[in-house]
Amino acid sequence: MNDFEYLEPATVAEACAMLKRYGGEARPYAGGAYLSIVMKQGLIRPKALVNIKKIQELKGIRFDPSEGFVIGALATHRELETSQLIREKLPILCAVEREVANIRVRNVGTVGGNLASGEPLTDLAQVFLALDARVAISGPSGDRTIPLEELFVDLYQTSLGEEEILTRVIVPPPPPATGIEYIRFSSSSVVDKPCVGVAVRISLNADRKTCGTVRIALGCVAPRPMRAQGAEALLTGHPLSPQLVEQAAAAAAEECSPISDLRGSERFKRGIVRVLVRRAMAVAYDRASHASTLRLRSGQAGSA
Amino acid sequence: MKKQIRLRVNGMDRTVEVAPRTSLLEAVRDQLGLTGAKLGCDMQVCGACTLLLDGKPVSACSFLAVDADGSELTTIEGLAAGDRLHPLQEAFMDCGALQCGYCTSGFILTAKALLDEQPRPSEEQIKDYLGGNFCRCGCYQEIIQAVKKVAGI
Repeated sequence: MNDFEYLEPATVAEACAMLKRYGGEARPYAGGAYLSIVMKQGLIRPKALVNIKKIQELKGIRFDPSEGFVIGALATHRELETSQLIREKLPILCAVEREVANIRVRNVGTVGGNLASGEPLTDLAQVFLALDARVAISGPSGDRTIPLEELFVDLYQTSLGEEEILTRVIVPPPPPATGIEYIRFSSSSVVDKPCVGVAVRISLNADRKTCGTVRIALGCVAPRPMRAQGAEALLTGHPLSPQLVEQAAAAAAEECSPISDLRGSERFKRGIVRVLVRRAMAVAYDRASHASTLRLRSGQAGSA
Repeated sequence: MKKQIRLRVNGMDRTVEVAPRTSLLEAVRDQLGLTGAKLGCDMQVCGACTLLLDGKPVSACSFLAVDADGSELTTIEGLAAGDRLHPLQEAFMDCGALQCGYCTSGFILTAKALLDEQPRPSEEQIKDYLGGNFCRCGCYQEIIQAVKKVAGI
């Protein structure tokens, strides 16, 4: 690992000013779960690390009546996994977090860092995409909030400016009659990064039969976490039928662009996408049909 | 530029001088002479370098020492009370839960964190919690047995 300056700002404004001073040669640091690996491998050699861990306003998980669920960028995976609020209101997030990496990574890795790294092999990102999450970003020129989809640009590339910091993730409360499921498939050990991860959210129309909002989010099968919008569109306005599920699953497998690597060939991954979309859709639809309140039931994210 | 950091290591206040890039593992092994934690994969996967930072398991190979400033650290050397081994250490010996021993300090510290959080975990919870620690000698059955023994399940 290269030598670097180590800075500890107390506020977001101070942190952004520090990043600006180094003109793109400094990186925000929180848990270091991702940074430590890429720095050891010499893939990035920042002149300074700006440790944002002591910035109070980036901490905590809470519910804000106007915004929804607000997850501070510094919330660790473990905090999300064990949060009482999240367990009661968005249990799918707890279920996903239980399967992220290992206990040590979950203790130090942060939600903000996970998203801001632009890592393509993700779990959390798909679930946030399915929930229409937004991310708040602060920089020297002010604050902005964007849909999470707009954060991801390409392999390890995000739309964050060099002087900007991701400050929080905002998850709007899902509409009534909503069901969600996430299924991750690992092709080697369960503590490995996923081979494919699929999140499906279905919010039913008032008739409780036809699909209103459908989100199908795919991870690990494109340079960035993505939504299979073609597949989503097939379902909107229709009740779920076996034929429609099959069509949508095939469309999702077609829309993604996996690469062949040590976790599986391109063809294999498309096959897994198809299977997981089909399975997740059935569970999400079933949960949506039975949902009596805002509460989303958590799923055992099993393997395929 | 070196920075002085203060740590409470196994109940004792220690001060070390580290460069920002020094890992917590390097600081503990090379400067404090506590060599129970080992360098394995160097990428947060294997768990050989596990230390308890404020009671929680972390991969010391990938944690910046400067970032641990002001924290409480438990290493394997801090578990025994004088000549009396920690119950987990006893159980690991009784159950034959180690062969080469390279992963053992990581396993015992992780198991300690689990039992501190949850004194009577299920076998499933033990497997989940320890799932990120690797034993290449393959003592997994004995390790789980040892943890169950201490948990009294």
